[in-house]
Amino acid sequence: MPMSLEATETKKNDNSSTGALDIYLPPERKKVTGGGQPHVVAKNFSIYYGEFEAVKKVNADILSKYVTAIIGPSGCGKSTFLRAINRMNDLIPNCHTTGALMFDGEDVYGKFTDEVLLRKKIGMVFQKPNPFPKSIFDNIAYGPRLHGVKDRKTLEGIVERSLRKAALWDEVSDRLDKNALGLSGGQQQRLCVARTLAVEPEILLLDEPTSALDPKATAKIEDLIQELRGSYTIMIVTHNMQQASRVSDYTMFFYEGVLVEHAPTAQLFTRPKDQMTEDYITGRFS
Amino acid sequence: MNGDVASNQSRSSEFIVSAQKHKIQKIKQKAGEAILLLIASFVAIVVFFIFWFVARDAVPFFRLRGFAEFFTSADWYPADDPPKFGSLAIIYGSLMVTLGSALIAVPMGVIASICLSDILPFSVRQYVKPVIEMLAAIPSVAYGFFALVVFAPLLQNNGGPILMWTWWVIAAPFFLLAVIVASELLTTSIAKESMKKSAKMALNIVLSLLAILFLYVVGNHLQGLVIMSGTNALNVSIILSFMALPTIVSVSEDALQAVGRELREGSYALGATRAETIVKTILPAASSGILAAVILGIMRALGETMVVWMASGNSSSIPVPFYNYLDSVRTLTATIAGDMGEADQVTGSARFHVLFAMGLLLLIVSFVSNLISERIVVRQRKILSGQ
Amino acid sequence: MNLGTRKLLDHSFTALGFGSIIIMGLALLVVLFPIATKGVGAFVFKGTIEHRKLLLSEFHRGDPKEIVKEETETNRYRQKVFDMLAAFDQELDQMDYEQQSKYRSSYDQVKTSLRTLLGPLPGDSEPALTRFQYGQTRWDKAEEKLHGLLYEQKWDYSNPDVIAKPYDVSRAAGFAGTSLVKLFPYVEENLDKMMMPEWTFYWGFFTESSLDAHFFGGIWPEIQGTIFLAIGAMLFAFPLGVIAAIYFTEYARDGFLTSMLRSANSTLAGVPSIVFGLFGLAFFINTLHVSESKSVLAGSLTLAIMILPTIIRAAEEAILAVPKTYKEASLGLGSTKWNTIVTVILPAALPGILTGGVISLGRAAGETAPIIFTAAVSVGAAIGLGDVLTSPTPALSWNIYNLASEHEAAAEIRHVQYGMVLALVTVVLLLNLSAVILRARISKKLKG
Repeated sequence: MPMSLEATETKKNDNSSTGALDIYLPPERKKVTGGGQPHVVAKNFSIYYGEFEAVKKVNADILSKYVTAIIGPSGCGKSTFLRAINRMNDLIPNCHTTGALMFDGEDVYGKFTDEVLLRKKIGMVFQKPNPFPKSIFDNIAYGPRLHGVKDRKTLEGIVERSLRKAALWDEVSDRLDKNALGLSGGQQQRLCVARTLAVEPEILLLDEPTSALDPKATAKIEDLIQELRGSYTIMIVTHNMQQASRVSDYTMFFYEGVLVEHAPTAQLFTRPKDQMTEDYITGRFS
Repeated sequence: MNGDVASNQSRSSEFIVSAQKHKIQKIKQKAGEAILLLIASFVAIVVFFIFWFVARDAVPFFRLRGFAEFFTSADWYPADDPPKFGSLAIIYGSLMVTLGSALIAVPMGVIASICLSDILPFSVRQYVKPVIEMLAAIPSVAYGFFALVVFAPLLQNNGGPILMWTWWVIAAPFFLLAVIVASELLTTSIAKESMKKSAKMALNIVLSLLAILFLYVVGNHLQGLVIMSGTNALNVSIILSFMALPTIVSVSEDALQAVGRELREGSYALGATRAETIVKTILPAASSGILAAVILGIMRALGETMVVWMASGNSSSIPVPFYNYLDSVRTLTATIAGDMGEADQVTGSARFHVLFAMGLLLLIVSFVSNLISERIVVRQRKILSGQ
Repeated sequence: MNLGTRKLLDHSFTALGFGSIIIMGLALLVVLFPIATKGVGAFVFKGTIEHRKLLLSEFHRGDPKEIVKEETETNRYRQKVFDMLAAFDQELDQMDYEQQSKYRSSYDQVKTSLRTLLGPLPGDSEPALTRFQYGQTRWDKAEEKLHGLLYEQKWDYSNPDVIAKPYDVSRAAGFAGTSLVKLFPYVEENLDKMMMPEWTFYWGFFTESSLDAHFFGGIWPEIQGTIFLAIGAMLFAFPLGVIAAIYFTEYARDGFLTSMLRSANSTLAGVPSIVFGLFGLAFFINTLHVSESKSVLAGSLTLAIMILPTIIRAAEEAILAVPKTYKEASLGLGSTKWNTIVTVILPAALPGILTGGVISLGRAAGETAPIIFTAAVSVGAAIGLGDVLTSPTPALSWNIYNLASEHEAAAEIRHVQYGMVLALVTVVLLLNLSAVILRARISKKLKG
């Protein structure tokens, strides 16, 4: 009994010394080199579903090689915004945009933009793990094959490299020819990350990648994001604010389609400028 | 220094295509979609062609002989000189077997679909579905063979007793139930409990006796029926009803499933029994879908060829009396199938074209009823989705 | 109403539901049972020496030495019959005219019966038709014929109110006092020795051509014709149907054109099968002249348009059942739409598409009405693969009708008809069964 009491005591002390929002303080991270330029730039960017304006006049610079988290209550347009970056919203009938969204200085929605080539540069991992009902190898090799890699040796190299980057190689190297649907949920999601990495994108879009996973698998994905930080520009939509604070350098808070606040994560979580942001992260509404 | 710019440029060119390439891509895409559309339109083209070509060969008949004889006369002597093409009896035969099969298949099919969707547990349903699928899969000529070789002799030799027993098995439980419900309903107004009980008892006995008498009289009459030929309208109606059943069951089950769980739960929560829930809540909600199912099932019976050709007796006169299902009949489909062999020797004759006129008639009926059932299904979906 | 009655009604309703489903199950059994049991009789039966003789001389199968030995053995018993006949012939010669005419017609009937039972009698000229060259090849038939030899069937017209009933009159009684009287008990007693029935598995039923309008031999030409027609129909309908389904699910935008195309699809599904036959005749043969007259090609084309709606619907359902996430994942990796369809969606939908295809194949194999005017002939040899463009073919479905309804001796060859029905139903149900299995495997696979 005294032991555990003591333990709670110390925790309490720790917390009280830094204030209520300090549970969101980001951990120590390695330095990012050669990043920090605006990679994706939104200018007065709006997204409509028919008449309904789902994302309203967003202005933002997403910096390269850093992790940007997008938070907000459900239905706030955070996923819509993320999916607009590699034009996955094209699949939805009646969806159109106004304003500009630039990637590498070129308009994503420009007339001469080829969305297929664009998506090769901007990879995406979805909420639910969605491996193809094929072997692990074929899943990873799917993208490279699409883009013309035929040679088996090269493919094997790509598959191994991608799986290593996604921290999955050690777990699956002996069963690459097995159906990917046989993997656990967490493994499947890392496989999806690996599959995306195999086409060598510059940006990685993660749409609530851990919402269908258990805590252990979630931790692995978060570790993976840290590994990839510095090599890729990463954007992650999450409804878990602690996750946002753990993994991201910058955070965007959306509310009812409006980008309310966009700031370095530590600042947004500890000293939010906007009252709405504070209300949200302190749990007054969700 | 410059390298950075260059790499930047090459990078952007990775997803920005030149105007020319863009144009080519667009054209390719449109062309591809056009080819797909063309293939998908093939069905529509075929439907148009079917109407066109059947009508093309049907028109000469009407030009030669007019409409009146075809629809109003029952004298079908296509091989005589001069020939007579009165098809009334044949049209009547088609309607008769279709009605007969509908009388059997519709109640059974609807009840079976209710049972499938609301009563049977999932584990049993798994075994019932293949049975229905098998009923649907058996080729019509196999049904026809069964009707001709097995069922017709059975009906001819033991028709009376078979009809009597069927009557007893089906009607007796209904009458029993009716007696119980009727005596209950008739005695509700009696206030005194003891009197009510004895009145009910008395009513039960009286009504039961009446019912048994009625059952016996009808059964006796059925047993005494003489069946001259086993290949008759009754035989065909029964077999056709089993061929129409799978369609009715599966389409109306879909309609029942489309009625949400909320409606069912709402009714149960008010203290309704399962039967009351189904009859008063679910069936009305699914009624239009069930109607569509019934139309499709009836069309299946009307359009069926082999069974009626083999087992209807092919006699082209209206039964006497007109409701006599134990008489032989002849249908449109069987006439087309049976007469073409002789008629197509003389392409261009009225005898050849009259068969196309019958085909056109069938085609138009099936087309119209298909449109109606489709409309009904669309409307139901709209109502259920609350639009 | 009180609760008890309401409960009673509820239970009756449930019973009604169970009842109708049980009736459906029973109907299936009632239809399938005679087909299965009697159908097997077409190729598993007690064959007589006549069957073996037939196989030897017409199909060159069997051990000649053994058969000759058996033949001598049976002839020993038959000889006695022939002797009796000869004796009666003499006896007849010695009778006066009146007595002769008393026996003559009855005696001729006896001889005819013996011919159908045992084959040509000594002194008969070689019959032209194969069916008269042999006695009964099947023991069950032989027993039937024996009854016809022993008894004459007469009709009872005594009561004009009911249909006349048949009754048997012993033939032996008619020959009382003559030498022929001994023949009847002799044949009855020694028929098995005259016929030597043996259980036979006649696999040739499925692989051999028929002889003498299906009196003997097998049904291979029909089976082959059915296979040609069904596969031919699939060759046209399957690719078209799958592509159309891709268009409907992935490309079609909501609008007038799409809804019209869908309407056309369900209209086509509802067209009576005989009308397809009319259309095939009017369009493929009389207008396009794809062949001189009936041909496998014309029949396949007609069947193809008949099964097209089923294939389209099944393929559409299968494609729609593919999780949207597959598509998203593929597009997200920078795949084009078409590439996504070909490499991800179609493979995932393939089992479902195949299920629809297999069911349609069964339907094409079983349909009769569309091929009556376009492809089917009653008799004929199996055609070669090279002739499919120009030649008509016998087919199981058509020949079942033809043998059962139009054959000159339909009742004599019931076993062949049953065998054909069994073959057809088995093929169709096996195809459907494989569809069920395929479907079960899909749902398993989609669950992971």
